[in-house]
Amino acid sequence: MSHVRIEGLTKRFAGKPPTVAVDDLSLEIESGEFVVLLGPSGCGKTTTLRSLAGLETPDEGTISLGGQTVLDVRAKVNQPPNKRRIGMVFQSYALWPHMTVRRNIGYPLRARRAGREQSREWIEETARLVDCASLLDRYPAQLSGGQQQRVALARGIVARPDLVLFDEPLSNLDARLRDQVRAHLHELHGRLNFTAVFVTHDQSEALALGDRLAIMKAGRIEQLDTPQRVFDEPATEYVAGFIGMSNRLTLRRQGDGWAAGTQPVTGDLAVPRAHTEVTIRLRPDDLQLAQSEPHLPAGNASLSAQVVDAQFGGRHMDVVVSVAGTHLQAKVPLAANAWVRHLTPGQHVTAFFAERAAIYFGAGDERIAGHPTAAVGA
Amino acid sequence: MAVVSALPAVTASSRARRLLPRLGALCFLAGIGYLVIAPLVGLQRLAFEDGARGYASAYDRPEMAKTLGTTVGLALGSLAIALVLGTLLAWAATRLPPRLRLLRALPILPIVVPAVAAVTGWAFLFSPRPGYLNALLRTLPWWNHLDEGPVDIYSLPWIVVITGFGLTAFVYLFVSSGFANINSELIEAAQVSGSSAVGVFFRITLPLLRPTLVYGGFVALLLGLGQFTGPLLLGRTAGINVLTTDMYVAVSQSPIDYGRAAAIGSPLLLFGIAVVVFQKVILGDHSRFVTHGGKAFRTPGRPSRLAVAGIVLYSLVALALPLGALTIVSLSPFWSGSIDVGAFTLGNFRQVFTESGITDAIVNSLTISVISVAIALPVGFVAATMLLKGRRFPVIRAAVDFIVAMPLGIPAVVFGAGFLLTYSREPFMLYGTREVIVLVYVTLMLPFTTRMQLSGMVALGDAYQEASRTSGAGPVRTTTEIMLPLLRPTIAGAAALMFVLLTHEFTASLLVRSPTTQVMGTILFDYWGNGSYPLVAAIALIMTLVTATGVVAAVSVAGSDIFDKL
Repeated sequence: MSHVRIEGLTKRFAGKPPTVAVDDLSLEIESGEFVVLLGPSGCGKTTTLRSLAGLETPDEGTISLGGQTVLDVRAKVNQPPNKRRIGMVFQSYALWPHMTVRRNIGYPLRARRAGREQSREWIEETARLVDCASLLDRYPAQLSGGQQQRVALARGIVARPDLVLFDEPLSNLDARLRDQVRAHLHELHGRLNFTAVFVTHDQSEALALGDRLAIMKAGRIEQLDTPQRVFDEPATEYVAGFIGMSNRLTLRRQGDGWAAGTQPVTGDLAVPRAHTEVTIRLRPDDLQLAQSEPHLPAGNASLSAQVVDAQFGGRHMDVVVSVAGTHLQAKVPLAANAWVRHLTPGQHVTAFFAERAAIYFGAGDERIAGHPTAAVGA
Repeated sequence: MAVVSALPAVTASSRARRLLPRLGALCFLAGIGYLVIAPLVGLQRLAFEDGARGYASAYDRPEMAKTLGTTVGLALGSLAIALVLGTLLAWAATRLPPRLRLLRALPILPIVVPAVAAVTGWAFLFSPRPGYLNALLRTLPWWNHLDEGPVDIYSLPWIVVITGFGLTAFVYLFVSSGFANINSELIEAAQVSGSSAVGVFFRITLPLLRPTLVYGGFVALLLGLGQFTGPLLLGRTAGINVLTTDMYVAVSQSPIDYGRAAAIGSPLLLFGIAVVVFQKVILGDHSRFVTHGGKAFRTPGRPSRLAVAGIVLYSLVALALPLGALTIVSLSPFWSGSIDVGAFTLGNFRQVFTESGITDAIVNSLTISVISVAIALPVGFVAATMLLKGRRFPVIRAAVDFIVAMPLGIPAVVFGAGFLLTYSREPFMLYGTREVIVLVYVTLMLPFTTRMQLSGMVALGDAYQEASRTSGAGPVRTTTEIMLPLLRPTIAGAAALMFVLLTHEFTASLLVRSPTTQVMGTILFDYWGNGSYPLVAAIALIMTLVTATGVVAAVSVAGSDIFDKL
């Protein structure tokens, strides 16, 4: 039996118009697993998390934590948060300003009536784990954002809960600190092996932290898989777009080949002949530019394009090109392509990509062709 | 299998857990509902008895038309004065130079002076014959032939002016907080887009202020319609009656006629309910949940000397003049138009503290206020929690919201009469006791205690509580260890403010007091009736001192923006 089991979870919000925040969602989480709920705002990821915590009252479904049923709408069971063995880290940290760090971290132990001696030990051990041992007698207002974050994390895990819930805990940190805390959290999970559900809208956070990712859309899980598989083989176009394949181009079959609008594509695509129209998704790194019609190695497809804008990005250029009216982004490394430093808007270039780097979707949003790794694996 | 067999037990206990809060909420609603509604219903039942005899006796008299006219005239006239003065002062307060920012508090200070004290102070200044300022004005060449006047404080126009002055501070509070809620970037955006200062004021500032002005205007209008102190102390001699004073006469002079009093109060009751409904339903009352980010309001104009002069002048007139007159009279052996510094004496104060009637009244005021605050705080805490968290029982929550707002809309004199009626008969024979005054005070404070604690809770947000619940703490521990400590400044501020309002209280107290159970305001009124003016002045000053202490305490624990939370 899985450690955490969500079945048929549904939550509707009254309003104008009424919305379905979570729509018949089911999810099983193994003990020690780190599951990330990823999606844009309004996709239901936070509502799912809050339902796990007992902070929402779902309309349908069951949830069990560590073998104990904490929610069963039909049987009218909905355990309050304090009856569930959970810890939670909030986006705003929610450290109580009138308590010292020690009392903040120790609160879950006091609330669960742990022994005094054991509490002291656990508080200090946890504080050491998150590098806060020297801050125990300060008040939250005296801490920096990163320190507050770590104290909040300590409070979430100190009571060794069955499940730790993270509600976008890194989004209030600045970019540099965010990477540090992320690395720290990953290391900590590796060491303590707690079961966790982590909500975020940041794909790099999700890829870095998750044992599995659940990409959510409109209250449903669109794809549930390991970061590697989600990254390499997004199941739907929506997932592809969310996981960084921001370029979208619709192609139609034209004679033997393909065309974007009136713009013919040089080279063939690995798409069965039955399809007359495909939508391709491509990462900006996988779209490259050439000055003139190049001799492309086999397995590449190219299109003529017009430069819209080019931004300097350090070791690369972020170039926006227009192909048959569609804007595409190309991340072109400068080392091999010094010429892109001097692009001017309106200039004609050739855009090309390895056909196996792209993912293809048919008219009904279904995947058509395999990805290289899949092909190799098969 | 164990899970399956455990299910029925879980279901039973969880059903109890779901029903208990609902039951508790219902009991609470019944409690405050009885407190607020029973007096009003009791009054109306009497008014409709014997084929609405109360209404007949109230409205068949020829004077009634005049009384209604006076009431509306007083309300609209004082509203106009208060809106103009209050808005101008609020505008001026935004144009103070930075080092004089403290002057912003000056226009609020008249609230500290109890209405009875202010009104008697004005009477000492502008009484036709012995008023100090009248005497001074009569030394001017074009008035030196007069024996009395030129100002007659006992006439309707001057009652309107005095009342308007009293309401100005409220409008100032509303408009000031309205200004504070306007993000300065909105103003700057308009300027950068090419609007002139005048254009910005009319196209941006005023439209943004409109909800504030409409709401503040309605509250001031309600206060104006319910005005009691001014008309009672100044208008009775000249036969100027308003609905509230008429009501008072109906229940204080024999034969006591509750039915008639209720009928007289009905227009005020209906208008008050209408305003509360309008505010809840039409405005949706969303404003209190809005937090304004961004930078605070800054006016486009530079600091202005005129603004400083205006605020200082207003404060001198509204605050220093009546208090000065009270001081002079309280130090004089008797009140005459001339000031004899040589005869100044502390004898009046000595007498105040030796007359047991007065000291009893002072002790009563203090103890009753403290007890009422102590009851009102937890009641308000529960009400605010239900308004914020009571999504599970929307009907009960809406009812609590409405009931708690009613004492703000309905004049205190109506409540006073209702309480006098309800608690002078079975099952609650409380007439003449302190308990009945406590009940009235708690009822009158319901809107304040709830609103202030609610805004404190809204400002705290949900995360602190949710963090406590997910840490394994139940509702009780969450309340005692997290909410109460975090709300301490809010609660202390609410307590101090309510203490001030209650030691001020005159209107409702006058109706429910008995000759042996008095508070400061009512004992002052009795001495005013006897013509013991120096004693009146001394009591008024002591009242002012008590409330000023309360305000200082309120501001020091809750910060200077305490009044914005109303």
